[in-house]
Amino acid sequence: MLLADFGTSYSKILETDSGNDPTIVATRDLGSDFCADLATGHNAARRSTKNINELTALARGGEVLIAEEDFVLLDCGSRDIKFIRCRRGRVVDMGWNAECGASMGFTIEMLATYYHLDYSQIAIPKTGFSITCGVLGMSHIFDAVISGASEAEAVAGFVRGIARNAYRFAGSPERLYLSGGLCDNPLFTGSFPCKLIPLGRFVLLKGLLATLKSERNKG
Amino acid sequence: MKEKVGIVGIPPLEIIKQLHHSKAEIIDLDEPQVRASLELTAAHLPRVYCAILRTVVLNAIHLELDRIYIDVGPGKCDCALHVATILKDMLSIPVIPTRNQDMDGMGFPLCRSRMPLPDKMLAITGNVRSIHRADEHKYPPCTPTAGFWGVPPRDFNLLALFPDTTHIYGWTRCMENKTPADLNLESQINPEVPTVFFAQAFCAKTALARHLADRHPRGLYLDCDVTAGSSARAKIEAFFELSGTAVPDKEPS
Repeated sequence: MLLADFGTSYSKILETDSGNDPTIVATRDLGSDFCADLATGHNAARRSTKNINELTALARGGEVLIAEEDFVLLDCGSRDIKFIRCRRGRVVDMGWNAECGASMGFTIEMLATYYHLDYSQIAIPKTGFSITCGVLGMSHIFDAVISGASEAEAVAGFVRGIARNAYRFAGSPERLYLSGGLCDNPLFTGSFPCKLIPLGRFVLLKGLLATLKSERNKG
Repeated sequence: MKEKVGIVGIPPLEIIKQLHHSKAEIIDLDEPQVRASLELTAAHLPRVYCAILRTVVLNAIHLELDRIYIDVGPGKCDCALHVATILKDMLSIPVIPTRNQDMDGMGFPLCRSRMPLPDKMLAITGNVRSIHRADEHKYPPCTPTAGFWGVPPRDFNLLALFPDTTHIYGWTRCMENKTPADLNLESQINPEVPTVFFAQAFCAKTALARHLADRHPRGLYLDCDVTAGSSARAKIEAFFELSGTAVPDKEPS
């Protein structure tokens, strides 16, 4: 079975029968005829035989990966952010911000390319910008650079603001599990004001796998 | 000539009876009645305002009405109170504020019936213009598998995501009961079924919706403005999928 988490920028793909690890492919490089058996994410309905929505995949992935009954799991993607909150093993709250959370991951990646920055080499700032959106927050960077800050310092303040905004969106928990490509960005993960546990990029794929197993058990 | 009378909220039953007696045409201004952009209301109301009341103003701008009854009491909201003032200043017809405190319940068989939720909601909102209750024999109660708590949404498309065995709670139940100010009835919930607690964005009822959702063992708080976007639809879908509730496999239009 071919499982796919179609992200806006990157797609995560798993061939369950191959025994291989999941692969990551730039979504724009996927052939137009690529079709998964079970998928989630951007355009999943068009690119798969069967699809489930991303919140469902996130919740099921979280259930598999997190050995706790009470937790908050936040997924930061290129285009949107979403979270689920579980209490006593049950999803009791969730959110999906595709509007005000728009383009956070995309903007962070784009800034690194534009300014030739390596996020692993940038110190985590003590203060940052108040940012509600990747696009609208850009002007803070330009203003800071004009005021004399280095490009790296300005971008660090921006990334910190993005992380704080995502943290508030998830309900400001004491412990937060993180999913998505930004798990690999130490500046981003170090900017959260809480205990952060990164789970990597394949949480939604795990959710698809759990769905597949559950359907096989039923059928 | 038949008089055309607009109503906002649920005016007292006595007013509806009078309108029936005089054979007036009753038009519910809370519902979209004209095809026009809500932006046209920006000259009269802030853009960040209840979408239902923006709809009221949009209807009032376009429809040729003879009178408007607007409920502004505890059965509606303070926002309606201020919209009443605006309508009075905007229009040359009588705008008559009412304070519906009717407490003689007429029952709520539709809320507990088995029917696609958009149809159920349409039947309840349509019944606002009636002086009769829905026929209990025609709409026998079903065993609920899900709950919808709240007001009729501006965008009924989100209701297509609920199972037909959804029971309705909250202010919509008060509507059908013809007791819109009955806060006890409005606050009733069913902890046995997964329930979406819905309120229009920028409405005071968002506080009660969130509060009750927090207290409910399987509650989801949801607010929407003018239309239900993909995020709101995905939340409802995921909520029912994760609750193990069977949902319709049709796409909302």
